[in-house]
Amino acid sequence: MNISDWLTLRIEIALAVFILLQLIIKIFDLIRSNETWLRLNIAITFLIVLLGFTGNDSGSLFGGMFISTSFIIIEKTILAFATLLVLMQSYNWLKHHQHTPEFFMLLLTALLGMFLMLSANNILLFYLGLEMATIPVAALANFDLDKQRSSEAGMKMILSSAFSSGMLLFGISIFYGITGTLTISSWQEILRPGGLEVLALIFIMTGFGFKISLVPFHLWTADVYEGSPVSITAFLSVVSKGAVSFALARFLFNGVIMMQEFWVEILFLLSIITMTVGNLFAMRQTNIKRFLAFSTVAQAGYILLGLAGDPVNAPTSVVYFILVYMFSNLAALGVVEIVSFATQKEDLDDYKGFYNSNKKLAIVLMLALFSLAGIPPTAGFFGKLFLFTSGIHSASVVWLLFASLNLVVSLYYYMRLVRMMFSENNEKPLASIQSPLLSNIALIICSAGILFIGIFGGLYDYLHQLAK
Amino acid sequence: MNTILSIVPIQYYIILSAILFSIGVMGVLTRSNAIIIFMSVEIMLNSVNLLLAAFSTYHNDAAGQIFVFFIMAVAAAEVAVGLAIIVMIYRNINTIDIYNLNKLKG
Amino acid sequence: MIASVFYFLSFVSIFFAVMVVVSKNPVHSVLYLILTFFSIAGHYLLLNAQFLALVHIVVYAGAIMVLFLFVIMLLNLNAATEPVKSSLMKFAGAIAGGSLMLVLIAVLSKINSIQPAHEVNTQIGLIKNLGKILFTEYNLPFEVASILFLVAMIGTVILAKKNPHTS
Repeated sequence: MNISDWLTLRIEIALAVFILLQLIIKIFDLIRSNETWLRLNIAITFLIVLLGFTGNDSGSLFGGMFISTSFIIIEKTILAFATLLVLMQSYNWLKHHQHTPEFFMLLLTALLGMFLMLSANNILLFYLGLEMATIPVAALANFDLDKQRSSEAGMKMILSSAFSSGMLLFGISIFYGITGTLTISSWQEILRPGGLEVLALIFIMTGFGFKISLVPFHLWTADVYEGSPVSITAFLSVVSKGAVSFALARFLFNGVIMMQEFWVEILFLLSIITMTVGNLFAMRQTNIKRFLAFSTVAQAGYILLGLAGDPVNAPTSVVYFILVYMFSNLAALGVVEIVSFATQKEDLDDYKGFYNSNKKLAIVLMLALFSLAGIPPTAGFFGKLFLFTSGIHSASVVWLLFASLNLVVSLYYYMRLVRMMFSENNEKPLASIQSPLLSNIALIICSAGILFIGIFGGLYDYLHQLAK
Repeated sequence: MNTILSIVPIQYYIILSAILFSIGVMGVLTRSNAIIIFMSVEIMLNSVNLLLAAFSTYHNDAAGQIFVFFIMAVAAAEVAVGLAIIVMIYRNINTIDIYNLNKLKG
Repeated sequence: MIASVFYFLSFVSIFFAVMVVVSKNPVHSVLYLILTFFSIAGHYLLLNAQFLALVHIVVYAGAIMVLFLFVIMLLNLNAATEPVKSSLMKFAGAIAGGSLMLVLIAVLSKINSIQPAHEVNTQIGLIKNLGKILFTEYNLPFEVASILFLVAMIGTVILAKKNPHTS
């Protein structure tokens, strides 16, 4: 390996070195205060985000096992930026937690696993990356060690992820049996539609469906999102879902593109059920974390619509949508975290009259809900617009009709929360909350993203250029 | 020299693996003891390992056996974390029956 | 003669796997699972995957199952703790698994389209050859797996440590 090979691997090497350095620092007790750990890790994550902007080289290493293109580097930068925002928002909670250093090691390892999963051209590295991204998060879901619901969330997460890995592996092993190789890009040439290939594809889609919380594999989502600490909810709903969506886009368009007629049908069924069930259940929820969980389930249905496009538009629209969705969801969950940490209240009814006591937080939450619903001129509208225009390529009219109807239905429950915040009165109103500085900065960044990314149109064209 | 696949055709290995996989799936769906559910997931992963090893001999490619190593490694790590979570749940509610994990309903 | 060894080992694996799922006592389930693993290791030996058979016994029967047994003994589980659940759920689960098995066998027994390799090398299961490939071609997953182990260890220790403040 020469210097340019090391430079292609720079993000992963930097992240791995920092994880191991933190372990050594913890063993020798060099840093004792949680605040220093927090600042160190925020600096590390910021450095990883910056590394994504340096140089746009592509390459393939380790005998074609690890590939890196500019598009993949942008995907990784988006995930690292989302992790940075999650860390900034969880400052208050982590300051007094007793296992703060281990939290960072587990979180950064999950991020490293996602990076490897995105760059993998060999299904073995892909599987390792996927497991490296889910096992630490299952341990992290349990991190409120004295709360029973956190242990329950961890249990449900690990059982679901173990079962889904089994399903995914069965499909992968059948593909290996048909093609005789583990390299994803050479599957493209060998796989042709046939009974056995469709069966294996269904198993693999089951595995992916668990991770992106498609219906009917979504049953763990609401409980895990409600039971885990809010930072882990944010990480799961944005970073984990985003990484697996990117990986699904790569797998479908680089590995099994020859079977497109079949998997478009599968995506059609899954997407329709996901959007409908997600929206219907979101209307009934009374806990705000469960509410946001079901709204993210519904958003996954729209991502599947975007995947029904052609090989250039589909990954671009998915990446753009995940970027926009990251800002909206992190803004919403950031506000929920501030409120939950200060007052321990998480019911939807507690948000009645939120505007009267906390004006800025209510406005940020309102912007986030508008963006999740897809109302112009927030960026959420443009994200969904690009998903629809990409999906028109292969999607049937019924699919588009269902998606539009579901957009209208989702407006109902998002606007209901906005109306509750602004115009209803509360007998037990929430106190005026002083939010910490880093959370404020994170919320300002998210709001700026929601407001301005949609208008700055060059971003989509830039991504489109890279995806060719 | 010949491998066993000249005596026992590959279809038999695939059927054996499918039967073991569905036994594992039945175990996950039917049992309520969390530890037995984990063991059924291990049966599923073992059936996949057997299938990969058989295909590796069929295609004369060592990559299948290397994949089996890594699946074993990941299964070990997953079992470690899973059992730690089970121990935590037991400390909280004194049972590991998954039907008792219903505090998060609603 | 070798075919009858294959049928015997298959019968043993399936029988003990069913016993794992069906038996009431968790300790019995663990022991049946260990027997299942031994029979699958026998299958690996039939396929001439020698190193795989050894590693399978050492890792699965030697490490993972011992861990299961430790946890069962620690939690003091016996048959009395699993109450009788509604048989409708068990029936539904059995039907689901049974239909999965039927579909899989129906599809998978009709494969004629996979081409086997033309040259046959019976030595790919030996330690030397596997080691050569593992450390040259598959070097990156090997290093990545080490970080995975480290992190699993950290997670396990955090979760399983008894906390003197809150107990």
